[in-house]
Amino acid sequence: MVGLIVLAGIVLIVVWGIVTFNRLVSLRNEVQNSWKQIDVQLKRRHDLIPNLVSVVKGTMEFEQDTLEKVINARAKAVSAGSMQDKVNAENMLTQALGKLFAVMENYPQLKSNQNIMQLQEELTSTENRIGFARQLYNDLVAQYRIKQEVFPNNIFVAFFGVFNKEVYFEAEEEARKVPQADTSIRPKS
Amino acid sequence: MPFTFIDIERQKSWKIGLFFVILLLMYFFSALVIARMVFGNIFAKGVIQGAFNAIYIFIFAAMFAFVHFFLLSYDVTETIKEKLGATDLDPEDDLHKRLKNIMAEIHVATGNKRKMTCAVIPSPAMNALAANDFKGNALIAITEGLVSRLSRDQTEAVIAHEAYHILSGDCRESTLAVSLFGFSMPFMEKIMIYWGRLYLLSFILFKLGYLLNMLISREREYRADAGAVRMTRNPLALAEVLYLLSKNWRGTGLISSDLEGLCIVNPRLDELDESEGFFADLFSSHPPIEKRTEILLNMAHAGVAELEARRKQTATKSLPEETEKKYYALDALYAWQGPYAVAELAALPWFSPLTWVSDGSETTTKASQIPALRETLKTRIAPLEGKISEYPCPVCRQPLIQQHYEQIRIYPCNFCGGTLVDWDKLPRIIIRRENTWSEKIKAQACATLKENQRAYIMRRSKNNKTKAVSLQCPKCKRSMQRTFYSYVYLVAIDRCACGATWFDKDELSMLQCMIENKMAGEDFAEEERRNDRRAPAPRQ
Repeated sequence: MVGLIVLAGIVLIVVWGIVTFNRLVSLRNEVQNSWKQIDVQLKRRHDLIPNLVSVVKGTMEFEQDTLEKVINARAKAVSAGSMQDKVNAENMLTQALGKLFAVMENYPQLKSNQNIMQLQEELTSTENRIGFARQLYNDLVAQYRIKQEVFPNNIFVAFFGVFNKEVYFEAEEEARKVPQADTSIRPKS
Repeated sequence: MPFTFIDIERQKSWKIGLFFVILLLMYFFSALVIARMVFGNIFAKGVIQGAFNAIYIFIFAAMFAFVHFFLLSYDVTETIKEKLGATDLDPEDDLHKRLKNIMAEIHVATGNKRKMTCAVIPSPAMNALAANDFKGNALIAITEGLVSRLSRDQTEAVIAHEAYHILSGDCRESTLAVSLFGFSMPFMEKIMIYWGRLYLLSFILFKLGYLLNMLISREREYRADAGAVRMTRNPLALAEVLYLLSKNWRGTGLISSDLEGLCIVNPRLDELDESEGFFADLFSSHPPIEKRTEILLNMAHAGVAELEARRKQTATKSLPEETEKKYYALDALYAWQGPYAVAELAALPWFSPLTWVSDGSETTTKASQIPALRETLKTRIAPLEGKISEYPCPVCRQPLIQQHYEQIRIYPCNFCGGTLVDWDKLPRIIIRRENTWSEKIKAQACATLKENQRAYIMRRSKNNKTKAVSLQCPKCKRSMQRTFYSYVYLVAIDRCACGATWFDKDELSMLQCMIENKMAGEDFAEEERRNDRRAPAPRQ
């Protein structure tokens, strides 16, 4: 009888172990996948910027400085290698773009241009998508970390040691603001 | 205590899950009651045999519900599309393009878990609904009125709310609940006549099931609100939408009663919906908007006052600016005419760069000296507001210009002022109210309407068909037919079988003006007759 109970206990622990392991693995993959999703959206932004610059260039002759900053930031972001570099470069780009949008407000003739309105809509959408992708990534990382750190999972993780902690995609406070009147109130909750 | 959206989501999920289990238990219990009535006591031959019997009955009941569920939800998205006349997004329409982008953003926010399509219901009502069917199609339908009147963030909040209904399985669960308890009343009443004794009990059970359903439906709305905030992190936008919806027409009579549980706000305006308490909780499918808004505002740390202020701010922002400069111009007979706005000046046939103009002060200059006028003159020479299209104007044979008007692609002619519009895009132009109308257009619309009414009556009484010169369709080269837009709004248009519709100069704005100001119908005729005693307006 005692043997039976011990056997049942061992079976239970093994089943729990398998379930936890699989859950951790699937979470890890989800985290990696969501990081790739950010990449896809960033690529989209990189592709859109040259179009915007070429359309805006003629009208905004006096703002060469702002435009150049955007172009440089884009070049840096495209060529960034390591993850931390990438995060920094993208934050720079977001800032530069935000400034460009703010300056564009001073040129009413840009607003009547159908092409620019289209591009701006596309860029707004892309900014939102990047924001959402990042939000999803951070949510998943938080889930993954919680799953690793709660008792008794932490012992299990230390025993196997195949799960590394993912880093959050952090943005500077300034960069968090999307350059648009309506979205400025976006509490972090 | 202010809840965060995560708390609300978790709490409501528990509640919904619990209620749903109770609902299922009730269903099987009523199945047992029915079986007792039909087959007599199933536990008559001992407990074990009775338990087996009960299991058979459960399996049978589950199969019964499943078949009904299958039939009900197999084609539900197609049915909804057909019933409401919803169409896919138009890739040439700027607002629809924005909607498509928003859908893509929501897909990103939810981690691309589920493919959802979006359709637009051509109605000025403000509502949205979600559905998914057995084949795995998920549909979010949103009315044109909502698309046109909400800002980008607000539309995103609505889409997120509907997307949450789909992702969390709310749509499927509510269809299942309907198939569990919705079908059976007439069917049962027929059978129960023969077994009267337990009729009352099962009747009460089914009614209770219905009430529980309503309760779950309300909890789901709260949860979807919280879920939408989790996706967009913008509770204020959703609060604004609810606030706006509570003040507008939600589509009563348009959206039938079996779909109302799927909408963002109940299309049926119901007193119960806006009240709280035991009875309201039992009988209505949507929670009070006031309470939903309050929860959302709590998340945003804002109050109703701020909401109202923001609404006013956006309302004043969209008003056209009235500070346009006016000019006087010297005509061919050396008389001063005016004052004219720049656009009016440009429309004068005798106005040229050499015309003497004055802005009301002492100085007079040639028109070409004033930068603003020079710009308009330039556009008159080379009217390139938009691309030159491949279609010729049916009246004056000049190429039509491709332009966006109220965010929809149209083809105006810069020489005769006419416009080519696709017939299926007309309702959208009419619904969107971005432009305001000058007194001139209003008067013109009024006169045209009266004139055409007279002409129409005369023609009908004489019963002769006047043969108008038929224009050639710019798109398919067939001849177009001259008709009225409708027999209420008598604006003459030329229609082609391919959908191309030609408006002469100002006729499109006149039509819009008529419909927006409700210039036809009994009331209008009555008023006109009072103003115009000499000749009573003819009635239809």
